[in-house]
Amino acid sequence: MSATTDIREVVAKYGRRREQLMLILRELESRSGCNCLDPATLREVAEEMNLPASAVAGFVDFYTMFRTAPRARYMIRVCKSTPCHTAGAIDVFESLRKLLGIGEGEATPDGLFYLERCECLGICSVAPAMMVNYDLHGNLTRRRLARIIRSYRESAAADGRGSGRETAAAATIIDDARQTRRLLADIGRVNPARIASYLKHGGYAALRKAVATTPADVIAVVKDSGLRGRGGAGFPAGLKWSFVVKGPMQKYVICNADEGEPGTFKDRVLMEGNPHLLLEGMAICGFATGATIGYIYVRGEYRRSIDTLQHAIDEARTRGCLGANLFGSEFSFDVFIKEGGGAYVCGEETSLINSMEGLRGYPRFKPPFPGQAGFQSLPSTVNNVETLMSVPLIVERGADWFKEVGPVSCPGTKLFCLSGRLNRTGLVELPMGATLREIIDVYGQGIRDGHAFKFAQVGGSSGGILTAELLDMPLDIDTPMKQGVTLGSGVVLVCDETTCPVDFLLQTLAFFEHESCGQCVPCRVGTAQLHHHARRLAERRAAPAELDQMLEKAQLMKKASFCALGQSPIIPLTTLLKAFRGEFEDHCRPGHACPACDRSLAQYYRSGRTH
Amino acid sequence: MPSIKITLNGREVECRRGQTILDVAKAQGVRIPTLCYHPQVSRTGACRICLVRVNNTMFKTACTEPVADGMKIVTADPEITAMRRGILEFLLAEGDHNCLYCEANGGCELQALCHEHGLDTPPPAGLPRNARTRDVSSSEGLRREENRCVLCGRCVKACGEIQMNRVWDFAGRGSHAHLTTGVTDVLGESDCVQCGQCVQLCPTGALSFQTVLGRGQAWELTRQSSICIYCGVGCKIDFFTNRDGLLVKAEGALDGPNEGHLCVKGRFGFDFVQSPKRLTQPLVRKDGELVPATWDEALDRVAGAFGRIKADHGPDAVMAFTSAKCTNEENYILQKFMRAVIGTNNVDHCARL
Repeated sequence: MSATTDIREVVAKYGRRREQLMLILRELESRSGCNCLDPATLREVAEEMNLPASAVAGFVDFYTMFRTAPRARYMIRVCKSTPCHTAGAIDVFESLRKLLGIGEGEATPDGLFYLERCECLGICSVAPAMMVNYDLHGNLTRRRLARIIRSYRESAAADGRGSGRETAAAATIIDDARQTRRLLADIGRVNPARIASYLKHGGYAALRKAVATTPADVIAVVKDSGLRGRGGAGFPAGLKWSFVVKGPMQKYVICNADEGEPGTFKDRVLMEGNPHLLLEGMAICGFATGATIGYIYVRGEYRRSIDTLQHAIDEARTRGCLGANLFGSEFSFDVFIKEGGGAYVCGEETSLINSMEGLRGYPRFKPPFPGQAGFQSLPSTVNNVETLMSVPLIVERGADWFKEVGPVSCPGTKLFCLSGRLNRTGLVELPMGATLREIIDVYGQGIRDGHAFKFAQVGGSSGGILTAELLDMPLDIDTPMKQGVTLGSGVVLVCDETTCPVDFLLQTLAFFEHESCGQCVPCRVGTAQLHHHARRLAERRAAPAELDQMLEKAQLMKKASFCALGQSPIIPLTTLLKAFRGEFEDHCRPGHACPACDRSLAQYYRSGRTH
Repeated sequence: MPSIKITLNGREVECRRGQTILDVAKAQGVRIPTLCYHPQVSRTGACRICLVRVNNTMFKTACTEPVADGMKIVTADPEITAMRRGILEFLLAEGDHNCLYCEANGGCELQALCHEHGLDTPPPAGLPRNARTRDVSSSEGLRREENRCVLCGRCVKACGEIQMNRVWDFAGRGSHAHLTTGVTDVLGESDCVQCGQCVQLCPTGALSFQTVLGRGQAWELTRQSSICIYCGVGCKIDFFTNRDGLLVKAEGALDGPNEGHLCVKGRFGFDFVQSPKRLTQPLVRKDGELVPATWDEALDRVAGAFGRIKADHGPDAVMAFTSAKCTNEENYILQKFMRAVIGTNNVDHCARL
């Protein structure tokens, strides 16, 4: 176990408040040398923090990045989410198994490497991907894997700074001048590690301009711009801000950077490429809503984003861009970082708030909405990274400029995360309403290896499947909904004709079962049963009637689930079934051959494991 | 609170802002089925059984949703009933629910809901189960059979909000979610003080008392109300006897000063009532043996001995130590007796439980 002096030191460093639990446990896990938080350590942390032991144990059990059994010096987590799955995640895992001589959940005898699987790591344009402690690596081939493993054998810190070059922010953006680069304009031009560089490019001018006006003015311009939330739900940002309760109490701005939707990596690129733009957007939001403290909740896998942001915050404080009386005004604002621990559901704003408070990431019922009672039950505005980063541009250049591109109902640009079987993958910024055809043909440069387009998953795992007849549908916030799909966070995962829709559905439904928080019945049981049926389909043991049972169950989940997670599986399910009913029915015949399903079954379901 | 108007099942009713749909329905005599809801603890909204239709556009859980002016609420229709049935089917498939061998049979809220919603067959075989560890005997007083648990969280809140002990919490996630009582997850090794509040709030047989085991299912027990004899709080207790007349269970009554709560003594300290070792008549010691005697004989013996001690050694050689099991009046009389008759202030009392 961790030494008592270590525990006391770490608790003293962060303070005894429960909201620090994630950071305390993370540091203790790193210090353990074997990436583990054993029960004795947990008991002592609970005592030291005056928390019930069950609360600490339940917390650790909720977040998949933590383990209570010893792992190894380097934990290797291989992504199995759909973008990596279509790119050959199974090959990566098998190569690692041979290379290290260990299976899932095992450590090498020298205590150096531990192998496990995980869900989306947010570097999907360079799939297949893995994480070694906090380093991210993409474009994995057998040769690259051997080289990477060798570098760790020769000792590397694995604290995020050793991430592969292919994962760097600027490298992730597709180099194509036909884009409408607004949020991405400065990435690659501005040095994210130097505030001077940001200031030279006009940084913090929008904040300076905002604090010279009134909060009502700022809300008015954001409302006028028609900016809608870019996290997935598309709620008008200005309207959300205007709902924040007024009064003398402490208020917060919360940036949702828990980018967990498989296939999404835009927020990571934004945070690592231009962190000050986010801080500036948060400060403007704080000014508009009367908040003086901002929190960025960054998923725990994004170590480099966290370090980049922390450095930016430190610099902004020294340069007077964060702190008291900003730019000679009455307005004060500071930003702090909160970290996630590996839970997709924490992207739901109330789960996120619970997680920030050191609780399990269960969603809260609404009302009260965060704008009434959010973090620590105080008014909080929760917005996505992309949304908040649009704000300084709107304030500086005006609502009309923002509305120059995109449809009237949801103007502006949208970041699209291209992954899958394309010749070119990465991040592009296009006017809202770009079509799938344009994205695939122009920016993705067509389907790889001369294969044919089969379908694209738009909006991530909770998004839907678009087939060829929807290639010309404008991808904005409202149009896809009419087709039963969502734009979501802007995922465009393209699959060619080699992709089996049943196998794809199996991975998607396994994801939902894995990520369900388990609080409400429809989602907790429903995700498990949907996954069960999908597995039977993949095994070619399902009866055709089970397809309808799946739809019924997903429908019940949609109507009855507590939060969006349980309401979502119906979208991939119905869209896949509608498009590929024939292939699903084929899988109901025991004699039907499907190598893709066979491979997934052999990989993920041997020895009775569910996923 | 200002009064507002809503439409409940087609009938316009007046209610107050801040009330939930469930509050209003209760006040109007409209029953909405619930499972995770319990009036003694904060709202959860997790089981989704109390979903009602709001404004013809959406479903909301009645236990969490505040009423708003002009809201139109439908508490039951075929679609709502089908949803509730679907949720119950999910629960039955997830756990191991067999009323044949469950102590809660007849007092189980899940059982009642299944009956009410017309569930008449067990869940199809082969569906995934959330199989949890059985921890039935580690605690002396509490029996935990988590495969009967619906994860409503009432125990977590009973412990955290009523007993303020915070022993229970959730662990795991999704289809592997379960309860824990600490880092080891063994109830008997936890900080549990066995007040039994969690058992009392458990809607199923997931938590029960060891004292009931094999002595009668809930439907066989008869309830009798009484007042706890242990301390001055005077908790109101519902005692349950089985068909043989044996006292098997105590529950805190909601209408007493304890508002449903009991401590470990009140909860489990009733075995003396029917103990064969219990004193039923005065005994006096004759030639080193205790033998039955009349009250006159016994009291004469005590009075005589007190008088002798007082005469030989003075009144301060005598002291009285009274019991919290006595009433205030009895305690008053005893100290009066010591001061006025014996003549000493040597009086003490055990009310330091």
